[in-house]
Amino acid sequence: MHLFLTYTIFGLVLGGVYAIAASGLVLTYNTSGIFNFAHGAEAMLGAFLYWEVRYGWGVPTPLALILVLGVFGPLMGGLLYLVIMRGLRNTAEVTKVVVTVALMLGMLYLSEWFWNPQTDRTVVPFFGITSQVKILGADVTTHELIALGTAVLIGLGLRLFFYRLRIGVAMRGAVDDPGLLELNGHNPERIAALSWAMGSFLAVLAGVLLTPISGGALQANSLTLLVIDAFAAAVFGRLRSIPRTYIGALVLGLAASYVLAYSPKTWQWASNFRVSLPMIVLFVVLIVLPQDRLRGASVARTRERAHLPSVRSAVIAGAALVVVVVLLRQLMNDSDITTITLGMTFAVIALSLTLLTGYAGEMNLAAVSFGAIATMVSYHIGVTGHGLASRSTLWGIVVGVIVTAVVGAVVSLPALRLRGLYLGLATMAFGVFLTDMVLMDSNPHRIPLIHTKFSLFSGGAGINSLVIPPLRIGPLDLHDGTTFLVTATVVFAVLGIGLVALRNSSYGRRLTAMKDSPAASATLGQSLLRLKLSVFMLSAAVAGLGGVLMSMALGSVTPDNFSIFLSLSLLMLTVVAGISYVSGALMGGLLSGVGFALIVSTFHDLASRHGSVHGLFSFLASFATVTPALIGIGVGRNPSGSVHDFVDSYRSLRHRPRVLVGGGAVEAVLYVLSLTNVLGHWWFAILTSVLVMFLPLVGQMSDPARREQEAAAVPLELAGIDSPYSDGLRAELDRALGIEDLLPPERLARSRRNGRRSDGSGDRSMTEPLGAGVGDAGT
Amino acid sequence: MPALEVSDVSVRFGGTHALQNVTITVEEGSVTGLIGPNGAGKTTLFNVVTGLLSPTGGRVSLHGRDVTAAAPARRARLGLARTFQRLELFTSLSVRDNIRVAGDIRNGWGRSHRINVAKETERIIELTGLGDIAGRDVADIPTGRARVVEVARSLMTQPTVLLLDEPAAGQTEQETEVFGVLLGRLADSGLAICLVEHDMSLVMRVSARLHVLDYGQILAVGRPEEIQNDPAVIAAYLGGAA
Repeated sequence: MHLFLTYTIFGLVLGGVYAIAASGLVLTYNTSGIFNFAHGAEAMLGAFLYWEVRYGWGVPTPLALILVLGVFGPLMGGLLYLVIMRGLRNTAEVTKVVVTVALMLGMLYLSEWFWNPQTDRTVVPFFGITSQVKILGADVTTHELIALGTAVLIGLGLRLFFYRLRIGVAMRGAVDDPGLLELNGHNPERIAALSWAMGSFLAVLAGVLLTPISGGALQANSLTLLVIDAFAAAVFGRLRSIPRTYIGALVLGLAASYVLAYSPKTWQWASNFRVSLPMIVLFVVLIVLPQDRLRGASVARTRERAHLPSVRSAVIAGAALVVVVVLLRQLMNDSDITTITLGMTFAVIALSLTLLTGYAGEMNLAAVSFGAIATMVSYHIGVTGHGLASRSTLWGIVVGVIVTAVVGAVVSLPALRLRGLYLGLATMAFGVFLTDMVLMDSNPHRIPLIHTKFSLFSGGAGINSLVIPPLRIGPLDLHDGTTFLVTATVVFAVLGIGLVALRNSSYGRRLTAMKDSPAASATLGQSLLRLKLSVFMLSAAVAGLGGVLMSMALGSVTPDNFSIFLSLSLLMLTVVAGISYVSGALMGGLLSGVGFALIVSTFHDLASRHGSVHGLFSFLASFATVTPALIGIGVGRNPSGSVHDFVDSYRSLRHRPRVLVGGGAVEAVLYVLSLTNVLGHWWFAILTSVLVMFLPLVGQMSDPARREQEAAAVPLELAGIDSPYSDGLRAELDRALGIEDLLPPERLARSRRNGRRSDGSGDRSMTEPLGAGVGDAGT
Repeated sequence: MPALEVSDVSVRFGGTHALQNVTITVEEGSVTGLIGPNGAGKTTLFNVVTGLLSPTGGRVSLHGRDVTAAAPARRARLGLARTFQRLELFTSLSVRDNIRVAGDIRNGWGRSHRINVAKETERIIELTGLGDIAGRDVADIPTGRARVVEVARSLMTQPTVLLLDEPAAGQTEQETEVFGVLLGRLADSGLAICLVEHDMSLVMRVSARLHVLDYGQILAVGRPEEIQNDPAVIAAYLGGAA
């Protein structure tokens, strides 16, 4: 009884803190439509700052609390909304997810930059550990009582705020119709900013309260993930209802506490189970709760754009990629080759995102986790030989990929009726569950009947890692670095061409249709469930293949190699590069596998070599770790990705072959110079990127006809707004309006000279966009 | 047997009745008009018929088969197609691919339904007069023509019952004229068409029968000339006592 009471109180306290965090999440989601993945990271930053102010600077507790909770929290939230989130209107769900994910990763890097993770930091409970009261014989610390009390007060406060205060009522209105709110004299922007300030305050509050409860040690990753546990509670409240969120949080807290109390000590997996419990709950809640019904596109058109390459140009690009990689191979040393190979395997995993998110508009936040499944399968059935002679077999990879596709189906099948964000959350729950539970399975179990010992993720003797030797089939031996690199590149190229062919097929068009308008697809007779299931399986298979290759490139893998943060940052970088493009996957994969790690290590290198400017270089190195996140946050401004701009700029060069040939020649010279060691490899890389970036500019500058053409491409409704009226323009307007006959003869003559005259009847709409435009305005 | 039969359908959103015991029939080979002021429940009715919304009561049958509980895709396979008042075009596809993908979807129904998608696409483009913009990005065309693209797309699935939700809104006078002729031809070919439209001259010209919906209830049913002289309809439209 005593044990029960102790753990019940602990569960309630934990639930209370979850409730505070989760209600902040619900608040911001409702007013801005953005599900804030950085909520946990905000809590983490708040907790770290509190530690700094309280223990680092030695400020008394009340003052420290005022500074962190009263000033830092609301300020951070308000600024986040005004600077970043406001720009996310009319963007796809995945863009919103990526921006907040980037923010989360950025905050994690930032905390590592400011607060060295090697240092131990502890936060002491309010009034100390010894400050306790006895409730029915159970010891409860004052801190726990304060946490519980705060949770109750926050709950009551939010209730009053939403139903009694004018601004609170308005905030509820913002959920339903921001436009209407504006008509009633409220400023939706200000209301959203206020809600973000409140949300951030709640996150920071939860962070400060949580640390002493969960042991007192400040640890950035785990604190961030702990608050992510609150997602389950928020989803239980369907991201709308605060009371339901509170109930969900309490159930979650109590469940975690009881598992801790009552699971038998012999269950080695119990502690892993406790850790992953919130994610299991999240998954179940997502599946069980009723969802919103199928709706049309919520925004008229999102800002994301993509060009569709033909299969022929994809084949050319694929071949070119292989050639380029082979040529670059000549400039690289062995460790470079290994790094680039790793990046290429990441790119293969990123292809699964291009297919699923770019083509079909669905989300998978745990792509790398699917790679873990294929890795485990091919480890258990596909490795032969011992020591250096050991190798992976094709058979193992094939079965691994198939199993991954099946697991993908099993995971997604219940979640498929969910859309967008909810499916994304379900995959995230699966990913975290996998790393926290399945990949932690390193102790051998005795399997009944066949009397062998078996563990899912262990190379033996309780070691929590797997050694994945390279593949060898016939003459193809990936033990050789160059062969591996070229093979990985060919695999990427073939899959990429396959994806482009798929996108150009009837299946690909149906995927696009589903992405653009599920409602229209369904009423045309498309079974969305079947289509989603097939594309999810296909995407899981691609991720599985990429995952096995990644494991081979790494040689030995631990659960950390499949962490959810890795999946998230891969998704982020792929979206930044252009999620709808195969080349976006290439760039995203290379960036997350190679790019930033390389830059950071280069700066560290420079810092150690140049003592006098050591400070500057190590600053740059730290800054470089934050860069990916900064780029990710910037994706809100350019949601189509950088590959899209790149393609756009090179499209204009198609009619300027001389510029292209010239650029190619310069590049060839650079390559030869670098090959003969006249030019350092870094210089080669830098000059090449400069050339690639500036070539389209050169093309534009040398092409005046093109510029004129672009000016003429302005739609007639907007003519004359950002460039002066010309006679030609006037004539065109007259023609479009059909008022030529009313004009004085000399202007008519001019207009005839300037262009074909329409006969004023028949296919008006074809030649007269303006007439049709006026019609638009009338509807 | 009517091609589409909606009997006694009711829909409640919270406390408000969006539809209240609505009964309409749509016959083969003719256009059935459905008119009513904004907010009368016309689009809600279409959503119920196509399965995007479940009614709180009543039943929907297609060619005598009860489909009240069927999924949207299932109804499409039984011959139902629709257009959307708030355009639901596939914005990343060209006009031609918007039409073609509907054929792709039809071909996904099963072997017995197969059509030659490429050929049929060109036939439909020709029929609906979209040839001049077939290659354009669907986001760049005027609303009036986008509505025709929606009609063309729905024709690709070879429907027997077609629901049109304000297809003429945004069309120019000449376009509407041409569109009316197209509707007549489609009806003559045996299609059952239900037309929601605010352009009264079009509705009156092409409809064989009209249903008038107001505040979620059927106000009147009859031939166009009967409806035009119905005092209740005049009151609903013009307000006050007629």
